[in-house]
Amino acid sequence: MSNRLFSKNSSRGSDLVLRSLSFFYIGLLLLLPIIAICSEAFKGGLSNLWANIISPQALYSLKLTILTAVIMVVLNVVTGVATAWVLVRYNFPLKNLMNALIDLPFAIPTVVTGIMLVALYGPNSLIGGFLGRRGIEVIFAKPGIILALLYVSFPFVVRTVQPVLHEMEKEMEEAAMTLGAGPFTVFRRIVLPTLMPAVLTGAALSFSRAIGEFGSIVIVSGNIPFKTQVASVYIYGELESYNTQGALGLSVVLLVCSFLILILLNGMQMWSRKHEAVN
Amino acid sequence: MRKFIIISILLAIGMYGCREKSVQTESDEITLTLGAYTVPKEAYEKEIIPAFQKYWLDKTGQSVKFEESYIASGAQSRAIEGGFEADIAALSLEMDVERLRTAGLITHNWKERPHNGFVTRSVVIIAFRENNPKNIRDWSDLARPDINVLYPNPKTSGGAMWDVLAIYGAGLKLSEEQTGMPDPEAAAQLLKSIQRNVKVMDKSGRASVTTFENGIGDAIVTYENEILLRGIQGREFPYVIPEATILIENPIAVIDRNVDKHQNRDVAEAFVEFTHSPRSQRAFARYGFRPVDQNVAAEFSQSFPQPKYIFDIGYFGGWDVVFETIFGPEGVWTKIIEELGRE
Amino acid sequence: MKQSIEAIRVIRKKRRSGKNILMAAVIGWFLFLILFPLYGIIKEAFQTGFHLFVSSLITPESRHSFLLTLWITTATVLINTLFGVVLATVLVKQKFRGKLLFEGLVDLPFAISPVVAGFMFIILFGPQGWIGNWFESSGIKIIYAFPGMLIATLFVTMPFVAREVIPVLREFGIQQEEAAFVLGASRWQTFWRVTLPAIKWGLAYGVTLTIARSIGEFGAVLVVSGSIIRKTQTATLHIHQEFTDFNYVGAFSAAIVLALASFFILTLMQRLYKRKEEK
Repeated sequence: MSNRLFSKNSSRGSDLVLRSLSFFYIGLLLLLPIIAICSEAFKGGLSNLWANIISPQALYSLKLTILTAVIMVVLNVVTGVATAWVLVRYNFPLKNLMNALIDLPFAIPTVVTGIMLVALYGPNSLIGGFLGRRGIEVIFAKPGIILALLYVSFPFVVRTVQPVLHEMEKEMEEAAMTLGAGPFTVFRRIVLPTLMPAVLTGAALSFSRAIGEFGSIVIVSGNIPFKTQVASVYIYGELESYNTQGALGLSVVLLVCSFLILILLNGMQMWSRKHEAVN
Repeated sequence: MRKFIIISILLAIGMYGCREKSVQTESDEITLTLGAYTVPKEAYEKEIIPAFQKYWLDKTGQSVKFEESYIASGAQSRAIEGGFEADIAALSLEMDVERLRTAGLITHNWKERPHNGFVTRSVVIIAFRENNPKNIRDWSDLARPDINVLYPNPKTSGGAMWDVLAIYGAGLKLSEEQTGMPDPEAAAQLLKSIQRNVKVMDKSGRASVTTFENGIGDAIVTYENEILLRGIQGREFPYVIPEATILIENPIAVIDRNVDKHQNRDVAEAFVEFTHSPRSQRAFARYGFRPVDQNVAAEFSQSFPQPKYIFDIGYFGGWDVVFETIFGPEGVWTKIIEELGRE
Repeated sequence: MKQSIEAIRVIRKKRRSGKNILMAAVIGWFLFLILFPLYGIIKEAFQTGFHLFVSSLITPESRHSFLLTLWITTATVLINTLFGVVLATVLVKQKFRGKLLFEGLVDLPFAISPVVAGFMFIILFGPQGWIGNWFESSGIKIIYAFPGMLIATLFVTMPFVAREVIPVLREFGIQQEEAAFVLGASRWQTFWRVTLPAIKWGLAYGVTLTIARSIGEFGAVLVVSGSIIRKTQTATLHIHQEFTDFNYVGAFSAAIVLALASFFILTLMQRLYKRKEEK
């Protein structure tokens, strides 16, 4: 409806200009590089590419990457929503400071994150040593990977959920409570559906970030093939040893994976929004 | 719309301003670009480059401005191949310089230069903790089940290939000395049992040393010059030169295509020659590198003991063979990794 | 009426204990994940005293690297803000085929490992690259020079502005714009006077994230810049060089400066947001 209104004036022209600018931008900065990767990856032939992708080491690194990413996303969603809730609904001393620091992981270079985590939780630290004696390895093992991913993706869910929570009106929740609904029911039936699109967006962003993360993981994980080597590190190793096809092949797989998940989540988000409108 | 036009104009101006002057127009200042690997940074920065600048100024009245980059050898080699206009490449592996020749950036036979084109040497050693609590004496000790070993990933650190080759080569050499024939099986077994004890593979030699310094691991397989340099900087680690180990040789070469473009060939060639001068060789020795100059090497023979059995890359048949038979998809090391992965 | 007020009071009391537990959990998580590593970084930087902290920051290499980061960040913000808003406008307001796909593309830069991103740009913009070879003949260097580093940074920060503006633009709804339109405002006027003020906060947050991320970008820029000292070393690359040279104090000091810079910008944003709330 609104489009018709706009198109009445000669705004069709400016619509097109904007669209072309967007295409140009995305095309040059995103599509072209992706096409470049794909073309380099396919240079050696499809069968060679496939053989590289299904090599045991590549497959393992892919599995590990997705597994750790998924675990991290689940944790991030829970803690992110809880954190957003606390920041929006409650008041406590230094709340503003905490709120500002939420974005800190974005500002710290990943290599510094890695070094820090090793220093704090590595086998030689107080905490790491303590856990190590009880048989729990964090750094240079899978939990360390998840920890690093949690750190670099922490702001995503919190920040996508916060504005939505902010806009929500408490009256509906309180009405439901007077009608006898317990807090969990209220959360499940009223709050969560409204938050769902934002939560899904945050989850999508966290997931994408996790599968691409390199700088901190390469320091924190130990990088042992078939044990703690994630896809980005495997790809780096193959690039450095001139197996460009292998490296780019796996990168393409990761890209496709990420793209599919993003579309899925965006789709779910759109669906969510439609249903929220009905409510 | 206006904003877009303004920004585009600004960008265009900016990019125009960023373009490089490819020809030296002034004759009393000249720029030389050095593309090196990470390890010799202190040696070049603190001693050799300033010494050369003074030497050249005294000799020709021309002052030399240096632009330097010190990143991993393989990465540097690729960067130069990909367009980084270094006039001189000082890298860790012969292979990394040879690649530039194959790509046409180097047009002379650099291996026919003095000392076969090499400027420094080192050996692979095993460093351990103060007082050697785990009693580490040689390669076989690293294979013990209670030992945690560190070395970087040969796939991401070209220099780390030296470490793996040292172990494998030692296995070959020692069996050869005993039975007259090198035994690849025994060598592979040695490598496998040591690799099994590696819980962390950093992405570079430096990163490995950092990890070791942070208290991880009982022993680290690394180059002698790394440990010596660290000692000079105040962090000493005891080390042992194994009975059999590999000789590391680091090349230096002038990049013909770039020096012709920048018209600074004579300075570049002079610099390479300067790195072979006794003065520079002594500087390298002070920073932990074994000199290629015989005389200077003799001066420093106390600091650089000779291992009982030493071999070089030729022992394996050269880098091409190594790349294929040890680190290739069907290579010895690759197979070991796969086998360990299944355990 | 009195009964429902009473009921609400009882419910609120019950919720308070749950609230405290939640707050404690969230703050605890925040302390563990964000503050503890920050403390670690600060400790390392001041390990050898304040004097060394300062002297490692004022070396020519350090100063040049901060200046370079400043230039790149400024340029990135200008370009990505402009295109981000254009992109958001197109995605929210316009309908065209493949829009869902297009939207999924926007988040992709996160999923691409920085190593691969750097590699892509070398294929494209290197002297023998698809696009690079045109520039090479006119003597303009892209890779191993400022433009290449800018492009890499643009790439990794691309999603932020669009991502933050899109939901706000959607929420904001079309009515006000239509009203302005009907009252005779031109497209441009509508944008400036009606749309922009409404999306101001989403935009500001997106810009803030772009700044934080540009400051912290490492992997892709490392590959694309050659890390030439006092020429193409950004602050993060300088930090990496310091680590490689075993100069930990230098590395952590620079890291703190970066974190402080981002923190300052983030706090500023918070203050402005608060002021808006008070209105």
